[in-house]
Amino acid sequence: MGVSLTNRRAWTLPLVFLTACGLALGNPGDAPESTYHTTVAEVQLTFSATDQNDHGIATLQAGDFAIVDTDRIVRHPRSFQRAEFTRLELVILVDASGSIRTQLPREIANVTWFVNQTQGVPEENFSIVSFQRQRPTLACAGNCRTGHASGQLPARPEGLTPLYDSVVFAVDLLAQRADAHARKVLILLSDGEDTISQHAAADALQAAMANEIQIYAVATASSSSGGESVLRRFANATGGRYYTVDDAGKVLNAVLEDFHATYTVTYQLPSRAAGYHNVRILPTHNLNLTFRCQGGYYYPGTVR
Amino acid sequence: MKRAVLLLLLFASVTVSTVAQTRTHQEGTIVRMRMAECIGAQHGWMAAMSGSGRVQTGELCPEYVLVTEKVVYLIVGKSSDQLIPLAEYTKYHLQKNELLIRVDDARHESRFHIKEMVLRAEWDRAHQRAEEEEAAQPSRQHLGPALLTNSR
Repeated sequence: MGVSLTNRRAWTLPLVFLTACGLALGNPGDAPESTYHTTVAEVQLTFSATDQNDHGIATLQAGDFAIVDTDRIVRHPRSFQRAEFTRLELVILVDASGSIRTQLPREIANVTWFVNQTQGVPEENFSIVSFQRQRPTLACAGNCRTGHASGQLPARPEGLTPLYDSVVFAVDLLAQRADAHARKVLILLSDGEDTISQHAAADALQAAMANEIQIYAVATASSSSGGESVLRRFANATGGRYYTVDDAGKVLNAVLEDFHATYTVTYQLPSRAAGYHNVRILPTHNLNLTFRCQGGYYYPGTVR
Repeated sequence: MKRAVLLLLLFASVTVSTVAQTRTHQEGTIVRMRMAECIGAQHGWMAAMSGSGRVQTGELCPEYVLVTEKVVYLIVGKSSDQLIPLAEYTKYHLQKNELLIRVDDARHESRFHIKEMVLRAEWDRAHQRAEEEEAAQPSRQHLGPALLTNSR
């Protein structure tokens, strides 16, 4: 992953569960003669599954995939089921900074298209944020269709680019607005460059992963400073996807396909090595299947 | 003449049988997988054994640990996208210093460099030792109730 972590503890929250079981043997009322303590660390992972045509797989079986945790292969998960998400919570984050230059009208056209095409997402679960100069601005939240969101976006690109701060802002917004039954999705339209943020890219990524937010990144302009690789990293590490501007129309379809084919799997922590555990899910039979999940989690060390 | 034909047929059948035997697939289980440095074309296990060293290409290729009945193989793919299904059992055979893994119901075989070979018994002992060491590690951090409470 190559991500430096500053607040590592937060990464473990959504993914690693520790179940401590105290078992007392003996008759009720008697002082226990022996007490056994076991500690089991369990990892929970949410992922989506698609086929070679990019269609979500609604009938995935536990035997169709294996989890690669760091380098250990887990074939027999403790539990496997469809995720309990019933709705999407969606934020579109629009780069309106000076680096976008002539691409802003195209970005706004994409946003308008997204707004029109997401009729299946209730208006109250839909927000738009733009960023330029030194901070992000909430264009609309919960009223983006009736409020004509595209008219509230900046008319011209200008200023520096607080990309990472804006991702953190959008993550906070999603975390506040979504409940446990909502799949949180951030669609990011940007060239991937950042020129003024107080947060680092790792902070933004960490915030998204800690809140189980998928980032679907659209590179709206070519970057001279590796912005595309930043966008790719955001997408891959959060179980989202990366698109170039020419494929922007595919984003919504991908979001919906992934949403309808989301599963949750739990498995015993395969290695108690402290540190970052890379995770990927791979097929056991059909190599045409693609699985998308968070890129990993942080395990703080041996548990007492 | 008849005897010559019979001898020829016998020879041919033995040859075919020998070839078939060498191509008979064996089974193993892939227990580990990671992305590691790719190995150049002529720098597999034989090159390592002959002391010519390995040339690493800078790219990352999938590396698997394949555990079989008597030998454990550490194999490396030839390209970054050379993934194989991680089924419970993997069918393979050896051919010219390479390990070929059957993919996609035998319609396709994927060729791997053999990076290392270890006897199964030796690998089992090392594996058990490593697990015991990991289990015996002293507690370094106790995760407090906040983690349990915050967990879903």
